[in-house]
Amino acid sequence: MLPDKRAVPILILGVLALIAVPFFAPPYYIELGTYAFIAAMLALSLQLLVGCTGLVSLGHAAFYGLAAYTVYLITPEGTGRSMFITLPAAVVVSGIVALAVGALSLRTRGFFFLMVTLAFGQMVFFVFHDTKIGGGPDGAFLTRPLISIFDWQLQLTRRQRPMATYYVALTFLVAMYLTLVLILRSLFGRVLEGIRVNEHRMRALGFDTYRYKLAAFVIAGMLAGVAGHMWAMHRGFVNPELIGWHRSAEALLMILLGGLGTLHGPIIGAFAYMGLAELPQVMADWKPMARLFNALGMPDTGAFLQSLTERKLLIEGVVILLVVILLPKGLSGLRLPRWQRSSPAEKPTVAKAEVPPNG
Amino acid sequence: MAERRVTGQPVLATRGLSRNFGGLAAVRNVSIALHQGELHAVIGPNGAGKTTLVNMLSGDIRPTAGEIALNGRQVGGEPAHRLARLGIGRSFQRTNIFTSLSVLENARLAAQGVGAARSGPDGKTWAEADFVTQARAALARVGLAEVAARTAGALSHGEQRQLEIAMTLASHPKVLLLDEPLAGMGPEESERMTTLLKGLAQEHAILLIEHDMDFVFAVADWMTVMAEGTVIAEGKPETIRANTAVQDAYLGGHA
Repeated sequence: MLPDKRAVPILILGVLALIAVPFFAPPYYIELGTYAFIAAMLALSLQLLVGCTGLVSLGHAAFYGLAAYTVYLITPEGTGRSMFITLPAAVVVSGIVALAVGALSLRTRGFFFLMVTLAFGQMVFFVFHDTKIGGGPDGAFLTRPLISIFDWQLQLTRRQRPMATYYVALTFLVAMYLTLVLILRSLFGRVLEGIRVNEHRMRALGFDTYRYKLAAFVIAGMLAGVAGHMWAMHRGFVNPELIGWHRSAEALLMILLGGLGTLHGPIIGAFAYMGLAELPQVMADWKPMARLFNALGMPDTGAFLQSLTERKLLIEGVVILLVVILLPKGLSGLRLPRWQRSSPAEKPTVAKAEVPPNG
Repeated sequence: MAERRVTGQPVLATRGLSRNFGGLAAVRNVSIALHQGELHAVIGPNGAGKTTLVNMLSGDIRPTAGEIALNGRQVGGEPAHRLARLGIGRSFQRTNIFTSLSVLENARLAAQGVGAARSGPDGKTWAEADFVTQARAALARVGLAEVAARTAGALSHGEQRQLEIAMTLASHPKVLLLDEPLAGMGPEESERMTTLLKGLAQEHAILLIEHDMDFVFAVADWMTVMAEGTVIAEGKPETIRANTAVQDAYLGGHA
């Protein structure tokens, strides 16, 4: 689950590359990147339950959506509030609700846990869908939280804002990743791993596994709150869709796409999922492609690719199926072909059995 | 019934312990006592209720009726993790270790499970280093010190059984419940395990379930024979060997 030491340079390079993106990419892609970071945060927070503790929840988006609604509800009309107020408020609300939901749903196991979390998620969904809070089913716009430090506040024009939120979201994502690394390295994290592998044995060893699972559930809920807060901050709009089980299932899909066994898996999965949705559009818009098909005497193919954008879900489904079937460890299990790998990389897999895994 | 090697208050005692599964009475009215320094073997044919008995003593299942007392304190119906913390350690019939973790890490988790709830000798709470020290001591005790860094899944079957015992020991239990510690072991490994258990019996009250009769008669100080959920005989190994009811029920031509 923890990144091994050899992966650290790659992770750092990845972050540096993401820092560089806004200098090259058009604004549309900067916005898309921010959405991908938010999706990655939600998937990453869910990974603490799914991949680390072995708890598959279908109600995780409730904590994400609640955080976004909290930001909306505490923001006075027409003015933004400081992030230093909105973020703690959102996280605390998510955490408290996660404590209540977790305390009840963790009394069940496996399939029943899945159904109970789904039920709780839908309950929260209908609270916002069927009442006037936050604009009912239509949702509501809010003034985005301010990026500020105490009295000093970042003045942003409309063109600067996407870039600023991109970096704020990236910072949150990196911070969340590092937080999870710390959690998993701690004694607590290793108990969670023990619970995932064999909960019965952990109880026989004296662990009150219910409390450990509840703690993990609350932490995961609070981290989902961080993601939901970022959504409100970036999008400035809340609606019940943020809470519904679709959002939870999407986060599960991202984990599945990226890989269950790692922390970077959900991030890769989220990027891939977001990218997948863009792919047909990109292909259809790509001029050389259109010219190529024209030159080949197949102008219809370009139009066909364009029409694929309307079959977005179909493409997503096929790709996800292929990944699940062909790559059981998800995209993060992808490796270079054997002959392209340098030989030193080959050795550690053999030596690994001799070295104690560091947690 | 008058004979008993060890006297004094039992560490773990049951009175009228029963458990039904639906209409089936898996354990009926069982009263046994485990003493410090005594290796107490429970034998009986398959389906006699031995594992159900152990599961009740370890808190994995709740008794339908009856009492369990640990050092005179009623603990019947407490959950497994509470009993583990109170000093009841168990090993499992099927090897039940964390194969992806290192041997040391397995033992450390075991030390941590109980230790996290207790405070250390100087009143401070345990730190990771204390758990590692305890884990190493437990591994040394069962003879796995040299392989501490190996992945548990890479151990031989016999070594995994030893690790199972080490994990039970790492939590400093007062009572050891050992469910078939010899299952699937070769003669050489069995011999090592015999020496180990005899040593452990000095400091713990041990309840042992085992099918290997030669082994049981060699190590047990006291025996309880179960059949169809009830106790049909108890006594020293010599007495049990001579008991005709036991021979009929279980031992066959073996004794």
